[in-house]
Amino acid sequence: MNDDDRAKADRPKIIRYRSVVKRYGKLQALGGVSLDVHAGEVVCLIGPSGSGKSTLLRCTNGLESIEGGAIEFEGAVLPRDERGLRVLRRRMGMVFQSFELFPHLTALQNVAEGPRTVLKMNPANARLRAEMFLAKVGLEDKASSYPSELSGGQQQRVAIARALAMSPDVMLFDEPTSALDPETIGEVLSVMKQLADEGMTMVVVTHEMSFARRVGDWVAVFDVGCVIEQGPPKQIFEVPLTERTRDFLSHLGWAG
Amino acid sequence: MTLDWSVVWTHRGALIDATGMTILLAVATMAIALPCGACLAALRLYAWGPLRALAVSYVEFFRNLPLILVVYWAFYVLPILTGFGLSPFLTGLAALALNVTAYNAETFRAGINSIRRGQVEAAMALGMSRVQALRRVVIPQALRRILPILASTWVSLFKDTSLVSVIAVTELAYVSMQVRAQTFRVLEMLSAMAAIYWLLGYPQAKLVDWIQRRYAVSE
Repeated sequence: MNDDDRAKADRPKIIRYRSVVKRYGKLQALGGVSLDVHAGEVVCLIGPSGSGKSTLLRCTNGLESIEGGAIEFEGAVLPRDERGLRVLRRRMGMVFQSFELFPHLTALQNVAEGPRTVLKMNPANARLRAEMFLAKVGLEDKASSYPSELSGGQQQRVAIARALAMSPDVMLFDEPTSALDPETIGEVLSVMKQLADEGMTMVVVTHEMSFARRVGDWVAVFDVGCVIEQGPPKQIFEVPLTERTRDFLSHLGWAG
Repeated sequence: MTLDWSVVWTHRGALIDATGMTILLAVATMAIALPCGACLAALRLYAWGPLRALAVSYVEFFRNLPLILVVYWAFYVLPILTGFGLSPFLTGLAALALNVTAYNAETFRAGINSIRRGQVEAAMALGMSRVQALRRVVIPQALRRILPILASTWVSLFKDTSLVSVIAVTELAYVSMQVRAQTFRVLEMLSAMAAIYWLLGYPQAKLVDWIQRRYAVSE
Protein backbone atom coordinates (compact mmCIF):
# COMPACT_ATOMS: atom_id res chain seq x y z
CA MET A 1 0.00 0.00 0.00
CA ASN A 2 1.20 3.45 -0.74
CA ASP A 3 -0.76 5.90 1.33
CA ASP A 4 1.41 8.72 0.03
CA ASP A 5 -0.60 8.59 -3.17
CA ARG A 6 -3.89 8.58 -1.27
CA ALA A 7 -5.21 12.10 -1.65
CA LYS A 8 -7.73 11.89 1.20
CA ALA A 9 -5.58 9.77 3.50
CA ASP A 10 -5.51 12.48 6.17
CA ARG A 11 -9.29 12.47 6.51
CA PRO A 12 -10.98 10.36 9.17
CA LYS A 13 -11.65 6.72 8.38
CA ILE A 14 -15.38 6.24 7.99
CA ILE A 15 -15.31 2.51 7.39
CA ARG A 16 -12.57 0.11 8.43
CA TYR A 17 -12.58 -3.53 7.41
CA ARG A 18 -10.17 -5.44 9.63
CA SER A 19 -9.39 -9.01 8.56
CA VAL A 20 -13.03 -9.65 7.73
CA VAL A 21 -13.92 -13.33 7.35
CA LYS A 22 -17.24 -14.52 5.94
CA ARG A 23 -18.23 -18.14 5.41
CA TYR A 24 -21.25 -19.76 3.81
CA GLY A 25 -21.13 -23.20 5.35
CA LYS A 26 -17.77 -24.59 4.28
CA LEU A 27 -17.29 -22.04 1.55
CA GLN A 28 -15.09 -19.16 2.58
CA ALA A 29 -16.41 -16.05 0.82
CA LEU A 30 -14.05 -13.58 2.49
CA GLY A 31 -10.68 -14.69 3.77
CA GLY A 32 -9.53 -11.81 5.92
CA VAL A 33 -10.17 -8.57 4.05
CA SER A 34 -8.61 -5.37 5.36
CA LEU A 35 -9.46 -2.05 3.78
CA ASP A 36 -10.08 1.55 4.89
CA VAL A 37 -12.54 4.05 3.50
CA HIS A 38 -11.80 7.67 4.31
CA ALA A 39 -14.40 10.43 4.41
CA GLY A 40 -15.29 11.70 0.96
CA GLU A 41 -13.51 8.91 -0.85
CA VAL A 42 -14.85 6.82 -3.70
CA VAL A 43 -13.50 3.34 -3.11
CA CYS A 44 -14.06 0.94 -5.99
CA LEU A 45 -14.06 -2.82 -5.45
CA ILE A 46 -13.16 -4.67 -8.63
CA GLY A 47 -12.37 -8.25 -9.50
CA PRO A 48 -13.90 -11.34 -11.10
CA SER A 49 -17.42 -12.53 -10.26
CA GLY A 50 -17.61 -14.49 -7.03
CA SER A 51 -14.46 -12.93 -5.63
CA GLY A 52 -16.25 -11.49 -2.59
CA LYS A 53 -16.75 -7.83 -3.53
CA SER A 54 -20.52 -7.85 -3.16
CA THR A 55 -20.30 -9.98 -0.04
CA LEU A 56 -18.06 -7.39 1.62
CA LEU A 57 -20.51 -4.65 0.66
CA ARG A 58 -23.45 -6.60 2.09
CA CYS A 59 -21.53 -7.14 5.34
CA THR A 60 -20.95 -3.40 5.59
CA ASN A 61 -24.57 -2.64 6.52
CA GLY A 62 -25.18 -5.97 8.23
CA LEU A 63 -27.30 -7.61 5.54
CA GLU A 64 -24.79 -10.44 6.03
CA SER A 65 -23.06 -11.26 9.29
CA ILE A 66 -19.34 -11.93 9.52
CA GLU A 67 -17.56 -14.85 11.15
CA GLY A 68 -14.26 -13.22 11.89
CA GLY A 69 -12.45 -9.88 12.05
CA ALA A 70 -14.37 -6.65 12.48
CA ILE A 71 -16.04 -3.88 10.54
CA GLU A 72 -15.93 -0.42 12.08
CA PHE A 73 -18.20 2.44 11.12
CA GLU A 74 -17.07 5.86 12.33
CA GLY A 75 -14.84 4.28 14.94
CA ALA A 76 -17.39 1.86 16.42
CA VAL A 77 -17.60 -1.84 15.67
CA LEU A 78 -20.76 -2.80 13.79
CA PRO A 79 -23.52 -3.77 16.22
CA ARG A 80 -24.74 -7.37 16.11
CA ASP A 81 -28.32 -6.78 17.19
CA GLU A 82 -31.10 -5.87 14.78
CA ARG A 83 -31.99 -2.65 16.57
CA GLY A 84 -28.43 -1.35 16.43
CA LEU A 85 -28.11 -2.35 12.79
CA ARG A 86 -31.31 -0.51 11.90
CA VAL A 87 -29.95 2.75 13.28
CA LEU A 88 -26.73 2.19 11.37
CA ARG A 89 -28.45 1.35 8.09
CA ARG A 90 -30.16 4.74 8.05
CA ARG A 91 -26.71 6.24 7.67
CA MET A 92 -25.63 3.96 4.84
CA GLY A 93 -27.58 4.16 1.59
CA MET A 94 -27.54 1.04 -0.54
CA VAL A 95 -28.11 0.62 -4.26
CA PHE A 96 -28.69 -2.88 -5.64
CA GLN A 97 -27.80 -4.48 -8.95
CA SER A 98 -31.47 -5.36 -9.53
CA PHE A 99 -32.75 -1.93 -8.34
CA GLU A 100 -35.29 -3.48 -5.93
CA LEU A 101 -37.67 -0.57 -6.24
CA PHE A 102 -41.03 -1.30 -4.63
CA PRO A 103 -43.22 -2.15 -7.64
CA HIS A 104 -46.52 -1.24 -5.95
CA LEU A 105 -45.38 2.32 -5.30
CA THR A 106 -44.76 5.21 -7.69
CA ALA A 107 -41.29 6.67 -8.11
CA LEU A 108 -42.18 9.46 -5.67
CA GLN A 109 -43.64 7.04 -3.11
CA ASN A 110 -40.55 4.86 -3.40
CA VAL A 111 -38.32 7.78 -2.50
CA ALA A 112 -40.68 8.98 0.26
CA GLU A 113 -40.98 5.53 1.85
CA GLY A 114 -37.82 5.68 3.96
CA PRO A 115 -38.45 9.20 5.32
CA ARG A 116 -42.08 8.24 6.02
CA THR A 117 -41.65 4.85 7.64
CA VAL A 118 -38.19 5.04 9.15
CA LEU A 119 -37.70 8.75 9.89
CA LYS A 120 -41.40 9.17 10.77
CA MET A 121 -41.69 12.34 8.69
CA ASN A 122 -45.19 13.59 8.04
CA PRO A 123 -46.52 12.81 4.54
CA ALA A 124 -46.25 16.35 3.22
CA ASN A 125 -42.62 16.76 4.28
CA ALA A 126 -41.70 13.29 3.03
CA ARG A 127 -43.26 14.19 -0.30
CA LEU A 128 -41.31 17.44 -0.57
CA ARG A 129 -38.14 15.61 0.28
CA ALA A 130 -38.87 12.91 -2.29
CA GLU A 131 -39.53 15.54 -4.97
CA MET A 132 -36.23 17.19 -4.16
CA PHE A 133 -34.24 13.97 -4.52
CA LEU A 134 -36.07 12.89 -7.67
CA ALA A 135 -35.11 16.26 -9.14
CA LYS A 136 -31.53 15.65 -8.05
CA VAL A 137 -31.37 12.53 -10.22
CA GLY A 138 -33.20 14.31 -13.03
CA LEU A 139 -36.51 12.46 -12.75
CA GLU A 140 -38.90 15.04 -11.33
CA ASP A 141 -41.19 14.47 -14.34
CA LYS A 142 -41.44 10.73 -13.55
CA ALA A 143 -42.75 11.21 -10.00
CA SER A 144 -46.06 9.49 -10.65
CA SER A 145 -44.68 6.67 -12.81
CA TYR A 146 -44.53 3.13 -11.49
CA PRO A 147 -41.19 1.31 -11.70
CA SER A 148 -42.51 -0.96 -14.48
CA GLU A 149 -43.06 2.16 -16.61
CA LEU A 150 -39.44 3.29 -16.31
CA SER A 151 -36.31 2.19 -18.15
CA GLY A 152 -33.61 0.34 -16.23
CA GLY A 153 -31.47 3.45 -16.01
CA GLN A 154 -34.39 5.50 -14.71
CA GLN A 155 -35.26 2.84 -12.16
CA GLN A 156 -31.70 2.80 -10.87
CA ARG A 157 -31.70 6.59 -10.59
CA VAL A 158 -34.92 6.40 -8.56
CA ALA A 159 -33.21 3.78 -6.38
CA ILE A 160 -30.30 6.16 -5.84
CA ALA A 161 -32.75 8.94 -4.91
CA ARG A 162 -34.49 6.54 -2.52
CA ALA A 163 -31.20 5.88 -0.74
CA LEU A 164 -30.19 9.58 -0.73
CA ALA A 165 -33.52 10.61 0.79
CA MET A 166 -32.32 9.14 4.10
CA SER A 167 -29.37 11.61 4.06
CA PRO A 168 -26.80 8.84 4.49
CA ASP A 169 -23.16 9.46 5.39
CA VAL A 170 -22.03 6.70 3.04
CA MET A 171 -23.45 5.22 -0.15
CA LEU A 172 -22.92 1.55 -0.99
CA PHE A 173 -23.32 0.57 -4.64
CA ASP A 174 -23.58 -3.13 -5.51
CA GLU A 175 -22.87 -3.40 -9.24
CA PRO A 176 -25.31 -0.58 -9.98
CA THR A 177 -24.96 -0.79 -13.76
CA SER A 178 -24.57 -4.55 -14.31
CA ALA A 179 -28.26 -5.11 -15.06
CA LEU A 180 -28.58 -2.15 -17.40
CA ASP A 181 -28.72 -1.80 -21.16
CA PRO A 182 -25.51 -0.23 -22.45
CA GLU A 183 -27.32 2.94 -23.51
CA THR A 184 -28.62 3.66 -19.99
CA ILE A 185 -25.41 2.91 -18.09
CA GLY A 186 -24.09 6.41 -18.75
CA GLU A 187 -26.97 8.23 -17.07
CA VAL A 188 -26.50 6.22 -13.86
CA LEU A 189 -22.73 6.67 -13.85
CA SER A 190 -23.09 10.42 -14.33
CA VAL A 191 -25.41 10.64 -11.32
CA MET A 192 -22.81 8.72 -9.32
CA LYS A 193 -20.04 10.98 -10.60
CA GLN A 194 -22.05 14.01 -9.53
CA LEU A 195 -22.45 12.52 -6.04
CA ALA A 196 -18.73 11.87 -5.84
CA ASP A 197 -18.01 15.46 -6.88
CA GLU A 198 -20.26 16.66 -4.06
CA GLY A 199 -18.04 14.79 -1.63
CA MET A 200 -20.20 11.76 -0.83
CA THR A 201 -18.29 8.83 0.62
CA MET A 202 -18.95 5.88 -1.68
CA VAL A 203 -18.06 2.20 -1.81
CA VAL A 204 -18.73 0.94 -5.31
CA VAL A 205 -18.62 -2.66 -6.51
CA THR A 206 -18.30 -2.32 -10.24
CA HIS A 207 -17.22 -3.84 -13.53
CA GLU A 208 -17.09 -0.36 -15.10
CA MET A 209 -13.33 0.06 -15.20
CA SER A 210 -13.50 3.50 -16.77
CA PHE A 211 -15.61 4.69 -13.83
CA ALA A 212 -13.19 3.21 -11.31
CA ARG A 213 -10.34 4.83 -13.19
CA ARG A 214 -11.87 8.29 -13.60
CA VAL A 215 -13.93 8.68 -10.43
CA GLY A 216 -12.35 6.30 -7.93
CA ASP A 217 -9.94 7.63 -5.31
CA TRP A 218 -8.87 4.15 -4.28
CA VAL A 219 -9.28 0.77 -5.93
CA ALA A 220 -9.22 -2.65 -4.27
CA VAL A 221 -8.77 -5.72 -6.46
CA PHE A 222 -10.49 -8.88 -5.18
CA ASP A 223 -9.72 -12.47 -5.98
CA VAL A 224 -11.08 -15.58 -4.23
CA GLY A 225 -12.22 -13.66 -1.16
CA CYS A 226 -9.11 -11.59 -0.63
CA VAL A 227 -7.88 -8.13 -1.58
CA ILE A 228 -4.86 -9.00 -3.69
CA GLU A 229 -3.93 -5.43 -4.40
CA GLN A 230 -5.10 -1.95 -3.52
CA GLY A 231 -3.97 1.49 -4.47
CA PRO A 232 -4.85 4.64 -6.36
CA PRO A 233 -6.46 3.93 -9.76
CA LYS A 234 -3.45 5.26 -11.60
CA GLN A 235 -1.30 2.55 -10.09
CA ILE A 236 -3.83 -0.29 -10.38
CA PHE A 237 -4.61 0.41 -14.01
CA GLU A 238 -1.18 1.45 -15.23
CA VAL A 239 1.35 -0.49 -13.20
CA PRO A 240 -0.52 -3.31 -11.47
CA LEU A 241 1.70 -5.17 -9.04
CA THR A 242 0.27 -8.66 -9.38
CA GLU A 243 -0.01 -10.98 -12.33
CA ARG A 244 -3.61 -11.75 -11.33
CA THR A 245 -4.61 -8.06 -11.58
CA ARG A 246 -2.96 -7.78 -14.99
CA ASP A 247 -4.84 -10.91 -16.16
CA PHE A 248 -8.14 -9.63 -14.86
CA LEU A 249 -7.74 -6.21 -16.48
CA SER A 250 -6.62 -7.64 -19.79
CA HIS A 251 -9.62 -10.00 -19.84
CA LEU A 252 -11.82 -6.92 -19.61
CA GLY A 253 -9.95 -5.46 -22.56
CA TRP A 254 -8.26 -2.86 -20.42
CA ALA A 255 -5.04 -2.05 -22.24
CA GLY A 256 -3.55 -0.07 -19.33
CA MET B 1 -93.74 -34.75 -20.18
CA THR B 2 -95.21 -31.37 -19.47
CA LEU B 3 -93.38 -28.73 -17.54
CA ASP B 4 -95.09 -26.67 -14.91
CA TRP B 5 -92.94 -23.65 -14.07
CA SER B 6 -95.55 -22.23 -11.70
CA VAL B 7 -94.05 -24.41 -9.00
CA VAL B 8 -91.03 -22.09 -8.92
CA TRP B 9 -93.22 -19.01 -8.50
CA THR B 10 -95.34 -20.68 -5.85
CA HIS B 11 -92.27 -21.39 -3.74
CA ARG B 12 -90.53 -18.08 -4.42
CA GLY B 13 -90.63 -17.10 -0.77
CA ALA B 14 -88.77 -20.20 0.32
CA LEU B 15 -86.29 -19.89 -2.56
CA ILE B 16 -85.52 -16.25 -1.74
CA ASP B 17 -84.95 -17.10 1.92
CA ALA B 18 -82.74 -20.01 0.87
CA THR B 19 -80.73 -17.76 -1.45
CA GLY B 20 -80.21 -15.39 1.45
CA MET B 21 -79.00 -18.32 3.55
CA THR B 22 -76.53 -19.36 0.82
CA ILE B 23 -75.10 -15.84 0.65
CA LEU B 24 -74.94 -15.60 4.44
CA LEU B 25 -73.10 -18.93 4.67
CA ALA B 26 -70.54 -17.91 2.07
CA VAL B 27 -69.97 -14.46 3.61
CA ALA B 28 -69.71 -15.81 7.16
CA THR B 29 -67.33 -18.56 6.05
CA MET B 30 -65.02 -16.09 4.33
CA ALA B 31 -65.22 -13.69 7.28
CA ILE B 32 -63.84 -16.47 9.47
CA ALA B 33 -61.49 -18.06 6.96
CA LEU B 34 -59.63 -14.88 5.92
CA PRO B 35 -58.26 -13.87 9.33
CA CYS B 36 -57.81 -17.50 10.43
CA GLY B 37 -56.03 -18.34 7.19
CA ALA B 38 -53.73 -15.32 7.61
CA CYS B 39 -52.90 -16.34 11.20
CA LEU B 40 -52.22 -19.90 10.13
CA ALA B 41 -49.96 -18.72 7.32
CA ALA B 42 -48.10 -16.48 9.77
CA LEU B 43 -47.64 -19.45 12.13
CA ARG B 44 -46.38 -21.59 9.29
CA LEU B 45 -43.94 -18.94 8.10
CA TYR B 46 -42.63 -17.43 11.33
CA ALA B 47 -43.60 -19.49 14.36
CA TRP B 48 -41.52 -21.63 16.66
CA GLY B 49 -41.07 -25.26 15.46
CA PRO B 50 -43.92 -27.21 17.10
CA LEU B 51 -46.50 -24.47 16.41
CA ARG B 52 -45.36 -24.40 12.81
CA ALA B 53 -45.72 -28.18 12.57
CA LEU B 54 -49.23 -27.88 13.97
CA ALA B 55 -50.14 -25.30 11.34
CA VAL B 56 -48.69 -27.47 8.58
CA SER B 57 -50.65 -30.50 9.83
CA TYR B 58 -53.88 -28.54 9.93
CA VAL B 59 -53.47 -27.27 6.39
CA GLU B 60 -52.44 -30.61 4.95
CA PHE B 61 -55.25 -32.39 6.77
CA PHE B 62 -58.16 -30.22 5.73
CA ARG B 63 -56.88 -29.39 2.26
CA ASN B 64 -56.79 -33.06 1.33
CA LEU B 65 -60.15 -34.18 2.67
CA PRO B 66 -63.32 -34.03 0.56
CA LEU B 67 -65.45 -31.18 1.87
CA ILE B 68 -68.54 -33.34 2.11
CA LEU B 69 -66.67 -35.68 4.45
CA VAL B 70 -65.79 -32.73 6.69
CA VAL B 71 -69.45 -31.72 6.68
CA TYR B 72 -70.57 -35.16 7.82
CA TRP B 73 -67.72 -35.30 10.31
CA ALA B 74 -68.73 -31.96 11.81
CA PHE B 75 -72.32 -33.16 12.01
CA TYR B 76 -71.62 -36.45 13.79
CA VAL B 77 -68.33 -35.91 15.57
CA LEU B 78 -68.41 -32.27 16.74
CA PRO B 79 -71.33 -32.85 19.15
CA ILE B 80 -69.46 -35.80 20.69
CA LEU B 81 -66.23 -33.82 20.99
CA THR B 82 -67.78 -30.62 22.33
CA GLY B 83 -70.58 -32.20 24.31
CA PHE B 84 -73.29 -29.99 22.87
CA GLY B 85 -75.17 -30.01 19.59
CA LEU B 86 -74.76 -27.10 17.20
CA SER B 87 -77.52 -25.96 14.88
CA PRO B 88 -77.22 -27.26 11.31
CA PHE B 89 -76.25 -23.74 10.22
CA LEU B 90 -73.37 -23.48 12.69
CA THR B 91 -72.27 -27.03 11.94
CA GLY B 92 -72.23 -26.32 8.20
CA LEU B 93 -70.43 -23.02 8.81
CA ALA B 94 -67.78 -24.77 10.92
CA ALA B 95 -67.17 -27.39 8.22
CA LEU B 96 -66.88 -24.79 5.45
CA ALA B 97 -64.65 -22.53 7.57
CA LEU B 98 -62.31 -25.42 8.50
CA ASN B 99 -61.87 -26.21 4.82
CA VAL B 100 -61.56 -22.70 3.40
CA THR B 101 -59.19 -21.62 6.20
CA ALA B 102 -56.78 -24.31 5.04
CA TYR B 103 -56.95 -23.07 1.45
CA ASN B 104 -56.56 -19.42 2.45
CA ALA B 105 -53.58 -20.25 4.65
CA GLU B 106 -51.83 -21.77 1.65
CA THR B 107 -52.76 -18.81 -0.52
CA PHE B 108 -51.38 -16.28 1.98
CA ARG B 109 -48.22 -18.30 2.46
CA ALA B 110 -47.60 -18.62 -1.26
CA GLY B 111 -48.23 -14.88 -1.68
CA ILE B 112 -45.68 -13.92 0.97
CA ASN B 113 -43.14 -16.40 -0.39
CA SER B 114 -43.55 -15.08 -3.92
CA ILE B 115 -42.02 -11.73 -2.98
CA ARG B 116 -38.31 -12.01 -3.62
CA ARG B 117 -35.76 -11.58 -0.87
CA GLY B 118 -34.24 -8.49 -2.45
CA GLN B 119 -37.39 -6.53 -1.65
CA VAL B 120 -37.01 -7.19 2.07
CA GLU B 121 -33.31 -6.37 1.86
CA ALA B 122 -34.06 -3.08 0.12
CA ALA B 123 -36.54 -2.21 2.88
CA MET B 124 -34.09 -3.21 5.60
CA ALA B 125 -31.27 -1.29 3.94
CA LEU B 126 -33.43 1.83 4.42
CA GLY B 127 -33.48 1.06 8.14
CA MET B 128 -36.85 -0.69 8.36
CA SER B 129 -37.40 -3.46 10.87
CA ARG B 130 -38.51 -6.88 9.62
CA VAL B 131 -42.05 -6.12 10.73
CA GLN B 132 -42.05 -2.77 8.91
CA ALA B 133 -40.66 -4.44 5.79
CA LEU B 134 -43.41 -7.01 5.96
CA ARG B 135 -46.13 -4.43 6.52
CA ARG B 136 -44.99 -1.77 4.07
CA VAL B 137 -43.36 -3.81 1.31
CA VAL B 138 -44.13 -7.53 1.37
CA ILE B 139 -47.79 -7.70 2.38
CA PRO B 140 -49.09 -4.98 0.02
CA GLN B 141 -47.43 -6.74 -2.90
CA ALA B 142 -48.45 -10.21 -1.75
CA LEU B 143 -52.09 -9.15 -1.34
CA ARG B 144 -52.25 -7.87 -4.90
CA ARG B 145 -50.81 -11.13 -6.15
CA ILE B 146 -53.21 -13.34 -4.23
CA LEU B 147 -56.35 -11.27 -4.71
CA PRO B 148 -57.34 -13.25 -7.83
CA ILE B 149 -56.76 -16.54 -5.99
CA LEU B 150 -58.82 -15.42 -2.99
CA ALA B 151 -61.53 -14.29 -5.37
CA SER B 152 -61.65 -17.63 -7.14
CA THR B 153 -61.70 -19.41 -3.77
CA TRP B 154 -64.71 -17.24 -3.04
CA VAL B 155 -66.47 -18.30 -6.24
CA SER B 156 -65.79 -21.97 -5.43
CA LEU B 157 -66.98 -21.48 -1.86
CA PHE B 158 -70.20 -19.91 -3.07
CA LYS B 159 -71.03 -23.06 -4.99
CA ASP B 160 -69.65 -25.43 -2.35
CA THR B 161 -72.11 -24.11 0.24
CA SER B 162 -74.58 -26.44 -1.51
CA LEU B 163 -72.75 -29.38 0.13
CA VAL B 164 -74.09 -28.52 3.56
CA SER B 165 -77.56 -29.39 2.26
CA VAL B 166 -76.72 -32.96 3.34
CA ILE B 167 -77.09 -31.91 6.98
CA ALA B 168 -80.31 -29.99 6.38
CA VAL B 169 -79.03 -26.41 6.38
CA THR B 170 -81.86 -24.54 4.70
CA GLU B 171 -79.77 -23.02 1.94
CA LEU B 172 -80.58 -22.96 -1.74
CA ALA B 173 -79.73 -26.57 -2.65
CA TYR B 174 -81.53 -28.05 0.34
CA VAL B 175 -84.69 -26.00 -0.12
CA SER B 176 -84.83 -26.70 -3.86
CA MET B 177 -84.56 -30.42 -3.18
CA GLN B 178 -87.28 -30.18 -0.54
CA VAL B 179 -89.64 -28.50 -2.97
CA ARG B 180 -88.76 -31.11 -5.58
CA ALA B 181 -89.55 -33.91 -3.14
CA GLN B 182 -92.91 -32.39 -2.26
CA THR B 183 -94.02 -31.53 -5.79
CA PHE B 184 -92.14 -34.09 -7.93
CA ARG B 185 -91.20 -31.21 -10.24
CA VAL B 186 -87.61 -32.36 -10.72
CA LEU B 187 -86.61 -30.60 -13.91
CA GLU B 188 -88.26 -27.32 -12.96
CA MET B 189 -86.65 -27.14 -9.55
CA LEU B 190 -83.20 -28.18 -10.79
CA SER B 191 -83.42 -25.56 -13.53
CA ALA B 192 -84.53 -22.89 -11.10
CA MET B 193 -81.68 -23.79 -8.76
CA ALA B 194 -79.18 -23.72 -11.63
CA ALA B 195 -80.49 -20.34 -12.78
CA ILE B 196 -80.18 -18.81 -9.32
CA TYR B 197 -76.66 -20.13 -8.73
CA TRP B 198 -75.58 -18.99 -12.17
CA LEU B 199 -77.14 -15.55 -11.94
CA LEU B 200 -75.39 -14.98 -8.62
CA GLY B 201 -72.13 -16.61 -9.63
CA TYR B 202 -71.57 -15.10 -13.05
CA PRO B 203 -71.34 -11.45 -11.95
CA GLN B 204 -68.96 -12.54 -9.19
CA ALA B 205 -66.72 -14.29 -11.69
CA LYS B 206 -66.74 -11.16 -13.85
CA LEU B 207 -65.90 -9.07 -10.81
CA VAL B 208 -62.96 -11.38 -10.15
CA ASP B 209 -61.69 -10.79 -13.68
CA TRP B 210 -61.99 -7.06 -13.16
CA ILE B 211 -60.17 -7.17 -9.82
CA GLN B 212 -57.41 -9.15 -11.48
CA ARG B 213 -56.91 -6.48 -14.13
CA ARG B 214 -57.30 -3.56 -11.74
CA TYR B 215 -54.85 -4.62 -9.04
CA ALA B 216 -52.24 -6.46 -11.05
CA VAL B 217 -48.72 -5.15 -10.32
CA SER B 218 -46.38 -5.42 -13.24
CA GLU B 219 -42.67 -5.76 -12.63
